[in-house]
Amino acid sequence: MVDDDPAEHVLLQRQMKKVDGLSVKLDYVADIGAAVESVGTGDVDMVFLDNRLVPNDDFRQTAPLLRQAGFVGPIGLISSDISDAYFNEFREYGVDFRIGKDEIDGAAIRFIVSEYTRQQLSEACSEDYM
Amino acid sequence: MLAPETVFHQGPELERAVNRMDFFRLFKSLAGSHGVQFFGVVEIPGETASINLGQAHVLHNFPGSWFEDGANCLAADPVVSYLQQSTAPIVLEVEGNSSAFVGDNCSPRVLVVPLQAASGKRYGLIMSGLERPVAHQQLALIALDAALIFQRYFEVLLSLDSISGLSEREIQIVRWTSEGKTSSEIAIILGLSEHTVNSYIAAVLRKLQVVNRAQMVAAALRSGLIS
Repeated sequence: MVDDDPAEHVLLQRQMKKVDGLSVKLDYVADIGAAVESVGTGDVDMVFLDNRLVPNDDFRQTAPLLRQAGFVGPIGLISSDISDAYFNEFREYGVDFRIGKDEIDGAAIRFIVSEYTRQQLSEACSEDYM
Repeated sequence: MLAPETVFHQGPELERAVNRMDFFRLFKSLAGSHGVQFFGVVEIPGETASINLGQAHVLHNFPGSWFEDGANCLAADPVVSYLQQSTAPIVLEVEGNSSAFVGDNCSPRVLVVPLQAASGKRYGLIMSGLERPVAHQQLALIALDAALIFQRYFEVLLSLDSISGLSEREIQIVRWTSEGKTSSEIAIILGLSEHTVNSYIAAVLRKLQVVNRAQMVAAALRSGLIS
């Protein structure tokens, strides 16, 4: 989780504990520089990215930095308000999904984990065909 | 932020929805605004077939423990049976443990809204765990909002199965695949996640009616989509 407010980490961790059978290790960093360093280790499967991280403007600046670092896991954009028009561009900046902070609960977390760890392509579509 | 007290046909959220997560949020908000915790949008199979919650277009938040084999819900289930035989929204009172859509210690009321896609395929919204009786007016409002969200879901995602052309992004991904790049490599090249790349590939496979990457590339070459 990348968020400049440590309280958000505690809140998300509490929500995750409510999901039965979910085994997720939630790491926390406060800025995009630390996030880039963290995904560079190869130990991160998914990123929850807060929209505004001081001193950056918003996800349009930060999400591409994670992609440029070679991170190919899902990036979920979280914000207290995702209604501004520019949020609709999220896919163009390498973000996989967006969700309001007030929408995050056990059901949403379970769906996110299930959706973004789901095998989308069958065995017939494996990559060793060539 | 979603505004649950606002009926969706008056709100902007519908127009903004672009992926499965967005539609999950919309249906979840619809359910939550009526005090319902669990919901599912499922594809209705033939008369004797089971509903498969693992199917690609299904959206739901039912606990896996409700379903014996984790994904399938038998045709004998009264909720499934109703969806197969009716087109009208209803609140079913399910007896005992006869339906997988009623969890332990949950209310036996299950709200069912049959939905039909323009392609002819039938779907259904199932909302379970309704604590209070549902008035006709409330049922009508839920059915209206469900139909509006579902229509958008169809336009944005479900209809892609029957559209023959490929989007610019899909063509890019087929082209890189034809160069021998893996999903992960394409993700790095295009600044996307591997999940997104695989979503595009899955959509292309459905559109071109093929089952693997080699066939996808061959079909795209044959039809002139790539050269």
